[in-house]
Amino acid sequence: MTVSAAPAPSMHRRSTTLLGLALPLIILVSSAVLAWSWKDTLPDPVATHWGTDGVDGFGSLTGAIAVILVIGVLVTILLWAISFRTGKMSSTRRMVNGLNVWTAVLLSTILLGTLHAQKGLIDAADVGGVGGTIALGMALATVAGVLVAVVTPACAAAPATDRVPADASRLPLGDGERAVWFQRPRGGVGLAVGFLAAAGTGVAAIATSDWWMLLVTASLVALMAAMFSWVARVDEAGLHVRSSLGVPRTHIPLDEILQARATTVRCFREFGGWGWRIGRDGRVGVVLRSGDALEVTRTGGGVFVVTVDDAQTGAALLNTLADRARATHPVE
Amino acid sequence: MLFRIDPSAPEPLFAQLASQVRLAAARGELDAGERLPAARDLAESLDLNVHTVLRAYQDLRDEGLIDLRRGRGAVVTERASADYAALRAALAVVVHEAHALNLSPDTTLALLKEALA
Repeated sequence: MTVSAAPAPSMHRRSTTLLGLALPLIILVSSAVLAWSWKDTLPDPVATHWGTDGVDGFGSLTGAIAVILVIGVLVTILLWAISFRTGKMSSTRRMVNGLNVWTAVLLSTILLGTLHAQKGLIDAADVGGVGGTIALGMALATVAGVLVAVVTPACAAAPATDRVPADASRLPLGDGERAVWFQRPRGGVGLAVGFLAAAGTGVAAIATSDWWMLLVTASLVALMAAMFSWVARVDEAGLHVRSSLGVPRTHIPLDEILQARATTVRCFREFGGWGWRIGRDGRVGVVLRSGDALEVTRTGGGVFVVTVDDAQTGAALLNTLADRARATHPVE
Repeated sequence: MLFRIDPSAPEPLFAQLASQVRLAAARGELDAGERLPAARDLAESLDLNVHTVLRAYQDLRDEGLIDLRRGRGAVVTERASADYAALRAALAVVVHEAHALNLSPDTTLALLKEALA
């Protein structure tokens, strides 16, 4: 009974295919068609690669379009397939749909922007720098990606119909007693790696005076701020996990929790890195280190993991509060 | 950390909160520099008035267990994370002796209170 209350997989798969596959492919293909339509006004060969001192690579228009198209289509299909298979949680779908549209818009803007600047030129070597186009591409892509992530449909509410299993851990709590459990997972090896990467791009940007590279540095710093400091909270409202920045965040209400338990995760083997991750087995997790983690199985089959100290207490409290919520609002 | 309150207990709610932080410190569960939950979050989760939580935090600050800093919230001090291991070991001895002498918990507590007075 428990699982039938969840939305059918086809519901999320339809929106995943529409927003995460069809939309980015349409963007990529129409950009390619538009670029091809400029053929007569473009120099031959066209400029295809820029170094620190301006243009340093040339190629045919067909080649330039094909590279963008092949990269874009492959990335899109790969991520879409992952989301199609494991996108039980809306966060996964949002991330993949947003990322695919981000990639498509960025690649399209770079293709169209660099070609547009060469329209009417006899020799492609006369074209200027590419920094402005990349900055524009990043901005457009980010706006489009965030928009698509926001409009990706959330899961329908799916209250559990079964009690929390009797063998799940509990925390003795009096009838009138109220309790809350807080943890602040943060830092970890990933933060150090991210910091080095950010410092590296910053130094490179200054050394080469490619100012647009500072955008990469700024994005990395923002990403780290969002990914390496979290607050996890268990109370009458369920489990809240939110980044210190406020987003990303997630909330699993008590009535959608089938069971919580303390477990052990290995961040690289199971999640391939640190931060907000999608695991190999489809689990979604805030993973900052290997070791103790709180794992919540929700109605609809999604599993959420957060690496915290004292996960045992958090899991026991979550199970106890879920029991209590179901006793007050009978589920039969 | 875990916070629990019992509105039906005679002890005021702010005192219940504060004593849990004291106990957590004495058990060695708090690290210096660790941040307690924001007063607003804690009040929301436990369905309390935010002033109740702030009162508990102010008591703890007056005792030197936490610092209250604007923008950073309640931060555990070096003092709170001091080494309570010897105290815990001594308590274990008290418990062991009380068991050996068949003293009731109430009697043991009364003795402790007298010794502290």
